[in-house]
Amino acid sequence: MSDGGARILDRGYRRYDGHRTGVAGSFRTLVVHSMQRALGLKRSAAQKLLPGLAVFIAYVPAIVFVGLTVLIQDTLLANQNLVPTYADYYSFISAAIVVFSAFVAPELLCTDRRTGMLGLYLASPLTRNSYLAAKATAVVALLALVTLGPPLLMLVAFTIIGQGPDGPGALARVLGEVVLGGVAVAVLPASLSLAASSTTTRKAAASAAVILVLLASTAVTETLVEEAGAPAELFCANLLGLPFELVRRIYGEPSPDVAVAGIQTGTLIAAYAGWTLLFAGFTWLRYRRLAVDR
Amino acid sequence: MTSLVEVDEVSKWFGELVAVSEVSFAVGPGVTALLGPNGAGKSTVLRMLCGLTPPSKGEVRVLGGDPRRDLALSANIGLVPQQEALFEGYSAYGFVHLAAVLLRVADPDRATRAALELVELDPDDRRGVGTYSKGMRQRVKVAQALVNDPTVVVLDEPLTGLDPRQRLHLISLFQRLGEDGRCVIVSSHVLDEVERFGSRVLVMAQGRLAAEGDYRAIRELMDDRPHRVRVRCDDPRMLAAGLLGANGVVGLQLVGTDGVVIETLDAAALRRRVALAAQRADLRLHEVTPLDDDLESVFRYLVERR
Amino acid sequence: MSAVASARLPVFRLVLRSQVSRARVGALLALGAVGIVVGASLGAADQVPELVDGRVVDGGLWAGARFVSTFGLSLLVPVTALVFAAASLGDLDEEGTLVYLWLRPVRRSRIVVAAAAASFTVAWPVVVVPLGVAAAATGGGRGLVAGTVAAATVALVAYTGLFCALGLVTKRSLVWGLLYVFIWEGFVATAADSAARLAVRTYARSVLSGVADVPLRGTVVDSPARWVVPIAVGAVALAFTTWRLARRDIA
Repeated sequence: MSDGGARILDRGYRRYDGHRTGVAGSFRTLVVHSMQRALGLKRSAAQKLLPGLAVFIAYVPAIVFVGLTVLIQDTLLANQNLVPTYADYYSFISAAIVVFSAFVAPELLCTDRRTGMLGLYLASPLTRNSYLAAKATAVVALLALVTLGPPLLMLVAFTIIGQGPDGPGALARVLGEVVLGGVAVAVLPASLSLAASSTTTRKAAASAAVILVLLASTAVTETLVEEAGAPAELFCANLLGLPFELVRRIYGEPSPDVAVAGIQTGTLIAAYAGWTLLFAGFTWLRYRRLAVDR
Repeated sequence: MTSLVEVDEVSKWFGELVAVSEVSFAVGPGVTALLGPNGAGKSTVLRMLCGLTPPSKGEVRVLGGDPRRDLALSANIGLVPQQEALFEGYSAYGFVHLAAVLLRVADPDRATRAALELVELDPDDRRGVGTYSKGMRQRVKVAQALVNDPTVVVLDEPLTGLDPRQRLHLISLFQRLGEDGRCVIVSSHVLDEVERFGSRVLVMAQGRLAAEGDYRAIRELMDDRPHRVRVRCDDPRMLAAGLLGANGVVGLQLVGTDGVVIETLDAAALRRRVALAAQRADLRLHEVTPLDDDLESVFRYLVERR
Repeated sequence: MSAVASARLPVFRLVLRSQVSRARVGALLALGAVGIVVGASLGAADQVPELVDGRVVDGGLWAGARFVSTFGLSLLVPVTALVFAAASLGDLDEEGTLVYLWLRPVRRSRIVVAAAAASFTVAWPVVVVPLGVAAAATGGGRGLVAGTVAAATVALVAYTGLFCALGLVTKRSLVWGLLYVFIWEGFVATAADSAARLAVRTYARSVLSGVADVPLRGTVVDSPARWVVPIAVGAVALAFTTWRLARRDIA
């Protein structure tokens, strides 16, 4: 308000009459805020330690391999096994993937229920479905940071130094494989992590559950298949190994395990989709029934 | 008066945040209220009195000992902490009984029942405290603080969540404890109830002790702030005119149709002058009320400087 | 009841009650049950003798020992100990109820020992019993069962002490504990002999190897160090926890 050179700058509380971004804006804001929270951005240094460590473990091998390729190209030409393939790369960073998937979703889901923020979110234009969708988007995006980022970095770096795919067609194909592979490794752990986080308000318990399920499924299926003579298809219950094997199929690379190599790709895809939908459905059902009372 | 609690030039900082700065006071038997806005450092002071955190500088002595080092002292201190959490799986009896056992009370069962009855809780209620309302949980906390009949009782916001009747009951309980010779230190935001605890206050603001003592006496000491007295009479303008030239009157404000608020540096002298002025002007006085002799005004002047 | 025992027992019971929840115990028992099923599958399969380090080892014993080592000693035991021990004092601290133990005339060592004992009491039957049953189901023999129980118990003592301390030192104790178990013990400690001796898992495997008389690949520690070191680690960790508890700022 202004008149003859005078202004009132503070008229106290007034209703907001400006543009409202609606559900889409709420969704976007929640995704961005969730990602910031999980990465420890705009928070203390201690909150950045764990995500920083996971990202470090994920990217350092890629940087090292790119560096090796630049520095000792001739040696590499003679010994093709020094730098891993894109599919092999995931075995170097499996620890980072396990750690990241174990703590990201609990940080985003458990905290909201424990602190009562979920009630506030649901009082906004967000519904339970859109809230879950936003959280799932954030979790997958965060996991993609460690599953998609490093191979993408390697692809770009190799292309720049002339060690990448030959021609735009090959580049587009490899790029598609990298993106598909990165997403494949991210989605199943993400859905498992969301399901575990929907069962408890304690982040630590959810993290422990995710790691236990991932590693126990590996230990149990490997023992049964290798030592007890169980059918190789039991590998589909290996929640950590299944996405990695799927990535190999995407890149058309053979599996180092002969028994696993004999499993039909369709079987692997069906198992992957089944587990993902099972965990996602479990999460959705938990939230649908959840009583939000504060 | 023998001091049961002595705080000498105590400061406490957490990293770069100075929570308490050079606070000194001594408290004896009776009820003392610790007042201050949020973030003033009250809870930090109370935690230091119980030894839950050491002072960064200075000394705290409770019953002549160091509450941080002397484990035996905790048997003589009862604390009602601010946080709501209790051992959820326990009943009220179980929770207080656990405290009695750990405090080495001679007859834990009897002491537990007595403490629960004191706060009007049923000792035979076997429900877990997780099902309790906020007020009931608060009373459980008070019961566990009193089960060992401590000499020093420290209460951090003890009236939170209580209904008016329960508040009055507990205030009366704290007053009795003070009269029995215990040192009761209560922190609260509810100023009109703190007035009922008693008149001795410690006022904190921004980590510092702003004032201590009887709040009425504190008000008297604040000679940079005129007292404000409202007078209602038949003709306030006439009364105001009669007081305008009087010594000690520094301001007059007409309010409504029948009132005048007088600002004075000498409230006692004003009472005589008002009577004389009314008599001279042949006026009838309906009301003479001090407007800022209460705790809230003292608190506002000290803490908010307004 | 003496004054000494009168403080420990209520604290023991308090921590025990706070840790035993249907979800926690149920989930870990389910995992143990999976282990039993896998053990039974191993027992049902035909196992051929293995040549290990120049020695012929019974196939069932070899498969059973490897399973106990990877599934039990590397996963089930440390994670179970972490879930219970880190929560013993850590949960009380996080919830703000530790003050109701701390502001009592009870020696800090008694609080810590009682809390650790409670964690061990609830963890032992949840993990060691199913693991022992799984070992028996593999058909690896009594030696394997005895070795499994001994190794898991010794490991549990060490992990309980370590994770009790961790629970008090950091709010994110479970995450850091998992990092220790899977990054340090799972990767770093396997890289070199010296690093392996800084992992509880190495001593547990050594106990299993010694009692079951089965040569396990990787670093193996001789007796009596394989027994003494984990117990000493647990005791030192509890001493540190006591020291830390006495100096802690209590909310």
